[in-house]
Amino acid sequence: MSDARAELLLGALACVVLLLIALMVVSVFAKAWPSFANNGAAWFGSGGDGTVDQQLERIFNSPSNNPEAAAYEIRAWPPLWGTAIITLGALLIGLVFAVLTAIFIVEFAPERMRRVLEPVVRLLAAVPSVVYGLIGVLVLVPFVGNELISQERKESVIFVVQLSGNSILVATVILTVMITPIMIAIIVETLRAIPRAWTEGSAALGVNRWRTVWTISVRAARPAIIAAAVLATARALGEAIMLSMVSGSTGFAPNPIDGLTFFFEPARPLAATIVEGAEGFSIGPFGATLYAMGAVLLVSSFFLSLGGYFAKRPLAKYGLR
Amino acid sequence: MSRTRALGAAMAVAGLATALPATASAMTDSHGSSAEPSAQAAQRAVITMSGSTSVAPLAARLARAYVRQYPRRVRFRLAQGGSDVGIADVSAGRVTIGNSSRDPRSSDTGIFFNKIARDALCVVTNPANRVPDMSQPTVQAVFGGRTRDWSQVPGSTITGPINVVVRTPASGTQDAFNALFMNRQAISSAAQQRASNGLIQQTVRSDRNAVGYVSLAFAEGLNVPAYRGVACTLRDSRSGAYLGARNFWMVTRGRATGAAAKFIQWIQQSPRAQRVISTEWVPLQ
Repeated sequence: MSDARAELLLGALACVVLLLIALMVVSVFAKAWPSFANNGAAWFGSGGDGTVDQQLERIFNSPSNNPEAAAYEIRAWPPLWGTAIITLGALLIGLVFAVLTAIFIVEFAPERMRRVLEPVVRLLAAVPSVVYGLIGVLVLVPFVGNELISQERKESVIFVVQLSGNSILVATVILTVMITPIMIAIIVETLRAIPRAWTEGSAALGVNRWRTVWTISVRAARPAIIAAAVLATARALGEAIMLSMVSGSTGFAPNPIDGLTFFFEPARPLAATIVEGAEGFSIGPFGATLYAMGAVLLVSSFFLSLGGYFAKRPLAKYGLR
Repeated sequence: MSRTRALGAAMAVAGLATALPATASAMTDSHGSSAEPSAQAAQRAVITMSGSTSVAPLAARLARAYVRQYPRRVRFRLAQGGSDVGIADVSAGRVTIGNSSRDPRSSDTGIFFNKIARDALCVVTNPANRVPDMSQPTVQAVFGGRTRDWSQVPGSTITGPINVVVRTPASGTQDAFNALFMNRQAISSAAQQRASNGLIQQTVRSDRNAVGYVSLAFAEGLNVPAYRGVACTLRDSRSGAYLGARNFWMVTRGRATGAAAKFIQWIQQSPRAQRVISTEWVPLQ
């Protein structure tokens, strides 16, 4: 095959991919439109008639052959808020672990340990989320529910919400374990790519290894750390199966002023809501509502990439990439 | 330049044309475990099914028995996805039979519901909580969120808050529970939702304070209170004494024809099919 042909062929393939993405975005928004149109900006708010679960049930049960009577009312704040706190919590904890682990692997770990650590990290990154969900359901949730949450705590909120161990605490912890390996892998690659001359120059000035790493390597790797964080957040936002299994699947917005109880409260993020409602896609208004949640996830991951790009730009001047 | 563009567009269209049907067929087939013996016959009719996860085990066993009885007549392909997926698939003509564990609604048009069996729906609690019996008002108070502590439930052997676990609104099981137990009263807003029978079973098994409902086949290892004075068993469901039994349906586009009609008729009438059903479900005869 000549180069010109190869160029054409590959170009066409790339165009197909772009076209498919465009089609997907357009069709998601087209299907989501009735939900947004009927609720306006209140879609993102809280309150409304009953809880979000009752609203979803009403939407599901509304007659799909009679558009006049279709129910669309939804106030999606609880799943939005659940997505936000679980994702942010996992990202913050995971980022700290990832940076420190990456530094250890690259700068401090003995050769033998490194040879074990790196494949293990790569393996962790490839574990399917259902497996994490199973570990959560079979081990962590019963432990938290039976050992960590006292009877008094359960009774204190009895008229508001059920504390059973399915909680944002368990969800955040497992999500952290899921997204940290990707971040470690990316940051390790970048720390390796720091030019020897930079760190050797620092060492020659008598600066110890820890300070060298912290002031030279990590600073230079900042764009890559942001890229890692963006990638990990995107995975966290889209995680559905595991969160559906451990988050409690209740349309409840955990309340930070509840103190320690806050961490034991259940939630249900957007992606989990979509995957749990998948049986009802054929019901027009219900399908539209789920597509609207999908559209919100699409838009937020778009802004995530955009935000990552702009955060990286000023840093890239002094760093790699 | 213009040549590049033309070729690119042509390839794009060709790529799309091949990509789209592929994904569509993958979607209907992907969850499938096909229930068919080794076959070389391309001329045999193929019955495709999708839908309810509750009906799927029964459908698979029936298909296997049917093939054993009439080895050369038909082949089966079975996928799951949930009652509404099955009904949507069969309305659109993507499958021959849609399995459903929810009853027909006014919005279902152009499709025909064939009743194939009945299934008992049991209220379940943790084995530590040996509630012997729950009346309908008790069930409604507990699942409706008006009773929130086990000390207020007669016969309960534990105290403490009640954790209500229910199915997602889109499930056929939830629909049946609302009709048979709740008289369509609202479920507690604090209830936790689970996407399958198995997940409810697991939650109730690991949480002392939990109460939920599952198909009889999933009640193993849990405490099953009697409902309205009748135990949730196969025998009492068969005799009609147990009031928490729901219907299993095979849905066809219009009245069933050809191979599907023969299969459904065999399920409804042949003694062999009735025997298969009566292992874990309630036969119609």
